[in-house]
Amino acid sequence: MKRIFLIIIILIALIPFALSAITVEEIINRMDAAETFSTSFSRGEILSTDRFGQKTSTFNAWARGADESLIEFTSVAERGQKVLRTKGEIYLFYPDAQELIRLQGAALRQSLLGSDISYEDMTGEKNTLAQYTATIEGQESIGGRFCHIITMVAKSRTVAYPVQKIWVDMETFMVWKAQYSTQNGRLLKEMEVLGTMEVDGRILPSRTAVSDKLKKDSKTIMVLTEMQIDPPLDPSIFSLQNLTW
Amino acid sequence: MKFIVELALKNLARYKRRTIITAIAIAVGLMMYIIVDSMLIGAEYESMRNLRWYETSSARILDSGYWENRMQLPLDKNIAQPYRIIEELRDEGFVGTPRTTFSADMILSSEDFGEEGNLPVLITAIDPRTDNDVFRFEDTLIEGRFLRPGEDAVVLGSWFAEDLGAKVGYWVTLVTRGNGGFYEAMDLQVVGIVNCPNPNVNRTLVMMPIDTAGDYLAMDGAATEINILLPDSKDANGYLVEIQSIIDQSDDNLAVYSWEALAKDYLAIAEAKRGGTGVILFLVFIIAAVGISNTMLMAIYERIRELGMMRALGMTDSAIHMAFIIEAGGIGLIGSIFGVIFGAFGNFFLVNYGINFGMIMRDMDMGYRIQSVLKGAWNPSAIIIAFLAGFILSMLVAWIPTRRALKMDIPACLRHQ
Repeated sequence: MKRIFLIIIILIALIPFALSAITVEEIINRMDAAETFSTSFSRGEILSTDRFGQKTSTFNAWARGADESLIEFTSVAERGQKVLRTKGEIYLFYPDAQELIRLQGAALRQSLLGSDISYEDMTGEKNTLAQYTATIEGQESIGGRFCHIITMVAKSRTVAYPVQKIWVDMETFMVWKAQYSTQNGRLLKEMEVLGTMEVDGRILPSRTAVSDKLKKDSKTIMVLTEMQIDPPLDPSIFSLQNLTW
Repeated sequence: MKFIVELALKNLARYKRRTIITAIAIAVGLMMYIIVDSMLIGAEYESMRNLRWYETSSARILDSGYWENRMQLPLDKNIAQPYRIIEELRDEGFVGTPRTTFSADMILSSEDFGEEGNLPVLITAIDPRTDNDVFRFEDTLIEGRFLRPGEDAVVLGSWFAEDLGAKVGYWVTLVTRGNGGFYEAMDLQVVGIVNCPNPNVNRTLVMMPIDTAGDYLAMDGAATEINILLPDSKDANGYLVEIQSIIDQSDDNLAVYSWEALAKDYLAIAEAKRGGTGVILFLVFIIAAVGISNTMLMAIYERIRELGMMRALGMTDSAIHMAFIIEAGGIGLIGSIFGVIFGAFGNFFLVNYGINFGMIMRDMDMGYRIQSVLKGAWNPSAIIIAFLAGFILSMLVAWIPTRRALKMDIPACLRHQ
């Protein structure tokens, strides 16, 4: 009886290792897949904190595939401002000025509404393996969830963060935590999932914190209050005509 | 005619006090005109010189793609082998130095600065060995030392350092994007503070060694610009054509831009200012002219009885008219001579020593690239104009009241109070 009990304990202890038998490429691919939907609609808010205080912006967002998305801000200060992302390009629309601005090159590095998220962070397809070489560093529990710790080193200089360390859920392949560093290992930003929600059987982040590690008291929290996966969307939502209408 | 001239000169000598006072009024007006003109021209001249010495250099070689996107300071539109081009330019007698300009976020730590903070800055990466061949920062160092190649160090403008509370020995962190777009952070020590005479530079200047910046930004020996020193010459375009033909042999994408093209915005503002300068000079001229007119009118009106006496004794109106105008011209001539002498004396001080406006310039941006001492400039045409204006205007303003007095009958002239 004692022997059976010991075997059961050993088997339970080996579960994480059995799960980690998966290759790093598979983990990354499943992580990318978990973040990509054919279509989605979300509603939420961005809470930006810096040394001058806190600011809240609310938004509605529509997305199709990995390349197209539209964010419309609904908070009083930014009401009607829209950010349209198509493949490789970002357009901003300011209703007060009736002005459409195309962002490209260095302008993509500007901060979105003064937060720690840049326009560039919103761009790009979810093909992490094309940009990074990944290695598994180990496993760790984050908020009671077993995660793979993966270090990713950029393959080229065109990637914003030369080194990324991510904590990927072993079961859902959601990223619970990420650290973004320079080539020399200087920590720049940290992302942490503070809460999740289940939508159509998928576990998704509902509350995510991004902090700039070089600036004191600089933090952005993105909260999703509503999320729909694969809703029917009119393709014209992602057109320039719709942006200025 | 000889009699009329002699009479006018005798009158000048006879009424010494009036002649001296009137001449002084004219002289002061003309002196003001000469000095204001000198200050305005000096401000513009020195401003443009400081622009070339500390901002734009005489000419700059850039990748044509960089020029089109220069507001975004793209590091990938660069000059791959700047030193080879500088060498080729040197063979033809031109002096050049490479620079890389990029934007960054400067992070200040509480350890040195007392509180945490960050601000956007523009970094100028220079080659400490050759930069002073083209720019003039070597004479502006007021604290610490200048940069050395390969070190993790920065030199700050004194006003910028003052605004930050930075001192030599403090550390700052720069977060920027390297060539390609990757994030990079660098810790740099403040090793020197320069007091640059160009206020726009002194307010924002952050310089670091170009090889250090190149390592962090993965520039692989490239620079975003080559700055060139050209001799002061009217044939600047000829030099530019020559430089363009030299660089065309190395790289088709490179183009040379004159400092006028680089400082187009400043020159547009300067052009607008020139209109304002003309108005200021016109107002100064009007003040001087009103002073001269007023003094001459007083001088004529107080002598109407004398004029009546001369007519009663049989002197013709035209002779009296001529005598008064010659007398006014004499006063104008004396005033103009002294005005030019005083103006030249004041201008000598202005040109050689200048006036220190540092306290005013520190907190306001007048658009001029002058930080403290405003020096004047010699402008012979303004001096000649002032001299002739003082002389001719005096005769002109004497014409009208004399003619009016001559229309009065003799008894009315003699009774005039």
